[in-house]
Parts: sequence; structure tokens; C-alpha cells
Amino acid sequence: MNIARVLVANRGEIAIRVIKACRALGIESVAAFSQADRESLPARMADRAVCIGPARSAESYLKIESIISAALGTRSDAIHPGYGFLAEDPELAEACAKHGLKFIGPRPENIRQMGNKLFARAVVGEYGIPVVPGSKKVKNLREACGLAEEIGFPLLFKAAAGGGGRGIKIVTEPNDLRQAFETAAAEARAAFGDGTLYLERYIPNARHIEVQVLGDRSGNVVHIGERDCSLQRRYQKVVEEAPAPPLSEALREKIRQAGATIAREMGYENAGTVEFIVDQDQQQFYFLEMNTRIQVEHPVTEMITGLDLVEQQIRIADGQPLSISQSDVRFTGHAIECRITAESANHGFRPCPGPITAWDPPVGPDIRVDTHCFAGYVVPPFYDSLLAKLITRGEDRREAAERMQNALASFAVGGVDTTIPFLRFLLAQPDYIAGTVNTRWLEAQLRHFPLCG
Amino acid sequence: MTEDEVLQILNLIEKSTFDFLQLELGDLKLTVSKSGYVPSTAVTPGAAPGLVSQASPRPPVDVKEAPPQARPPQPAPSLAETEAIKGAVAITAPMVGTFYTTPEPGSPPFVHVGGRVGEDETVGLIEVMKVFNAVKSGVRGTVAKICVDNGQFVEYGQTLFLVRPEGVLDEEGPE
Repeated sequence: MNIARVLVANRGEIAIRVIKACRALGIESVAAFSQADRESLPARMADRAVCIGPARSAESYLKIESIISAALGTRSDAIHPGYGFLAEDPELAEACAKHGLKFIGPRPENIRQMGNKLFARAVVGEYGIPVVPGSKKVKNLREACGLAEEIGFPLLFKAAAGGGGRGIKIVTEPNDLRQAFETAAAEARAAFGDGTLYLERYIPNARHIEVQVLGDRSGNVVHIGERDCSLQRRYQKVVEEAPAPPLSEALREKIRQAGATIAREMGYENAGTVEFIVDQDQQQFYFLEMNTRIQVEHPVTEMITGLDLVEQQIRIADGQPLSISQSDVRFTGHAIECRITAESANHGFRPCPGPITAWDPPVGPDIRVDTHCFAGYVVPPFYDSLLAKLITRGEDRREAAERMQNALASFAVGGVDTTIPFLRFLLAQPDYIAGTVNTRWLEAQLRHFPLCG
Repeated sequence: MTEDEVLQILNLIEKSTFDFLQLELGDLKLTVSKSGYVPSTAVTPGAAPGLVSQASPRPPVDVKEAPPQARPPQPAPSLAETEAIKGAVAITAPMVGTFYTTPEPGSPPFVHVGGRVGEDETVGLIEVMKVFNAVKSGVRGTVAKICVDNGQFVEYGQTLFLVRPEGVLDEEGPE
């Protein structure tokens, strides 16, 4: 291993995850933290910690100069960006290269290729992978009307620069086109500084299936199976699992191969995730987008393969060839992950920052908790509300789900409201237990969730 | 702002339902808190965007009324160090980078202990990716201590200098 010291340019549970992976490899870690995270667990746990700026992420976690400066000042030789913040900013990857630092992630051109969704759709189409029927760039409302007739309703406006569910508007009838066009463009401009939109057919009975891939510098690519992330609220994932439950073995294999093909064709280096939409009525799959980073839900894959994906990321960035071939990747059992956030489901998922007075996560075999929280920690109001990821594994899906119910029931948190009661409610629904859900299912459950307070 | 005006503000806040007030009038910053809770954005020196940022050395006026705080995720080490020299205030690093005490190698330093500094005076440089950013004093007074070495890597918020402000009585705090 050439890498001796890694600067962790992130916060929260993923910063802890990276620090632990470094420790396991005998690599030193440096936590880059904002002033609001001075007392945070990553800042205490890393071998060294550096304050990179004020609480506002634009002046700390999103500031490339400060991240690079902190890496150079601490004589780190690599930067791990985690997810979110600068993870998919090709300029950080480029700045790293310029200053002799290793970026633990894909090459800048990989990030750029997949960062623009319109461009990504075109590239993947050329590889012979099906993409969701849709348009190229939509210039104006008149053009949108014409394209909408061709594609058919319902359809979606999407932001070319998009991500995280922002800039997406669903249109069910022609009369709604104007308003959707205008609001989606405004949202995209505000979120990404680019109002470019395109149209995509909306698949009502869909599942979100994604394929984990790894690629090394020499062009070797393996897939590490798929995950199902169909339980979403406002296009944000809430519960994920691996393997995906409802697929025929033939379709599962096709999707896995499609993910690997895309990574191989584009010369993808490091860990990435190719997202697909599966039309359950047609039993057809379509490329959606590719995320060029480690993902929040990567632990479900780790739980059924025994692989450490963050360790793989570091080894690949170090220049090592993949130590596993496709036939080495074995899947045993089933894993489920619940994202536990500091939000009150009873109050429209209002964020609940503040001091955590009690923190007692479940423990046991086949239970994993990825978290940065502890009793006495103050959840700052400046960042996302993820408190912990609770992951359970079982011999089969039923066992994993039962274990999850029990684990959620024994997870005691005081001081802040969490989504634990909501998750318990979701996982108790017969549809969830049977595995017969789609991407709209979760939002339909919201009105059945008992309101109180 | 006169003492009377400050007292008026305190009265208004006391009777209001608000827990916290921050007021900025030109150079003057007033922070009032009933519960002891001070959002860390409020305390943060708030390095202005752009290349030349100004360090704001004065800790906010913390008008204590309520029992001692449930500790916010804040206290910068500079506050503790400040107490080492009575009445001194800290000039802190507005960004993370390499700190230089001189305008260029071999030339005399911007400031020395015992020297006087004006509010707008440059007291050092911080290099970030080959760009040199001036660190402004932000306080008028006498340099009491230089806390970092030339060429040292400094974190955001790290104390660079302690300055005994001018026109401040041997203060015991606002009580």
C-alpha cells in the first residue's frame, strides 16, 4: 500500500465508516471538519482532525481549496470524499491530481460523463443498454408539448444536471405541462445552476434496482450484485435491500451484466453504482443514471458478500489491481437497511436537530449499525438528518425482515424525534412483507401512518 | 451604541418570546441569549467570501442571565487561550492553510510583540493552493502574543495573535 494517510472530506456516519476502513488497513486518517462538527465523533476518532471552515458547508465541506489545503498541510496522500458534498464534483478529483494527491473515487472524466444525465443517457444508449424512453434537451414549452405527445402521458420533467430528486416533476395530462416545465426549470436552476430539462416516460409500476460495480486501473470490472431501493419518499431512499426480491433469475442476471457492461465500456475506475428502473408490468429494465461514488446503502451489499467496499475503494485508488474476479463474488443470505433520520414523521418529516439524550442501538449477530451518534451528541441543524443506518442480515428475506423489526423495536433514542416508529410501521405492512411494492408504494402509506401529537 | 440602548434591547428580549438575538450595526456586533444557546453560525467569525477575508477577533458579548448552558457544539480553543492574557482578544485564521508572518521571505514581519495594529492592518498571509490571502487584524490595539510560527499549517479559527485592544478598560467582563 502506497497510501499512508487519508484525509476524510466528509462528516457523519460515512466519515466514521472511512476512518474504520483506514484503521483496518493500517492507514492513518485525518478528519476534515467544520466548526459545527468540532465535538463530533469523526473529529475525535481520526488520528488527526483539522477544522476547515465555518458551519456553512459552502465554506467548509464544499470548499475545494480548503480540503486540498488541509490535505497538503497534514501531509495526507489521499482524499476520500464519502458521498454527497464534493463526492461527485470532478473539480475535486482534478485538484487532487494537480496537487499530487490520490482521489479515492473515479477519474474526473468518469464523473463528468455521468454527471450530466442527458449525456449519460446518450452514452449508455450507444453501449446497447436500454434507457427510459424520453427526449433530448427540451428547449421551450412548445417543444415540450410536441415531445410529450410522442412519449405519451404520464411523463417526467427531469434536470440534466440533476440528482437527489431535485428538478423532477411528474405530468399526468397536457394541461399541466406549462406549470411543470416552469417549476422544474426553476428548481433545476436553483439547485444546480443549470435549468436544462429533458422528458422521460413515467413508469407507474416500477422498482428501483441498482448494480454495484468495481473497476480497477487496468480495466478489470466486476459487479457485486444488485440492490433494491424502491422504498422512497420524495425520490429519497428510505429502505434498501439486497438481493432484489422480485426478479426472475434471467432478468436479475441481465441487469447485473448491463451494469458491468456500462462500467467496462466507459473504463470506469473505483466503486460505482448503475441505477435502473424495472417496469414490473413489462418485465423490462431501463438505465436511469450512474452514481460515481460509494453509496449510502453499500452495507447491504457488504452483508451478503463479506466484501469491504470502502477498503476496495482505497486499494483501487492506491493503484492495486482488483483482488477478486467475478466468480469470487458469492452472495449468501439477504440484507435490509433502514435509514434512521432525525425527522418527525408525524409532522410532515420535520427535521429535529438538537441534543441526543439517550442512544442505545441494538446489538447482536447479523445486526450492523453505521452511525456517528452517541448520548450527549448535539445534532447540528446545518446538515442532513441521517443519524444511523441499521442493517440486518438473515438466511432469507423473511429472517432479515423479522430481525429488522426486532432491531428497530429495541433501538432506543431520546431527545430527538426519529423515523424509527415510521420504519416499524412500514416494515409491518403485508405488502412489504410479501415484497409486492413499487416506487410509489411508500408515499401511498403516508396517509395510513397513525398521526398523533 | 450607548449603555441605555443596550439595556433597552435587553429589556425587550427579556419580555419577548425570543431566545436569541444577534445584531450587527457596522463594526458593532451584539449577541444576546436567554438560554445560553448561541447558534455556532452566530459565534463563527464569518469569513467573508472572496479571497481577502477579515478575521473578526472579538468574542460576542454573551449576556448571561440563565443558568450555564447546555454546551453547544462550539467552543473554539481560541477562547480559552484568550483568557491567558487578561483583556486580550484573538485574531483567528479565517481559513485553513499555511500561515506566513512576512510579506515575502527575508523581509521583516508584518507585526511584532509590543507593536500597534490598526483594524484594517494586514497581520499575516495564509496560503491556500498557491494563493496568498491577507489576514486583517480586525482590532485596534497592541500585539501581546504571536501564537504561530512562520510557515506553520493553521486550521480555520486557530488563534494567530493575541491583541490587547485599545480604549478598553482593564475589563472584568460585562456584569
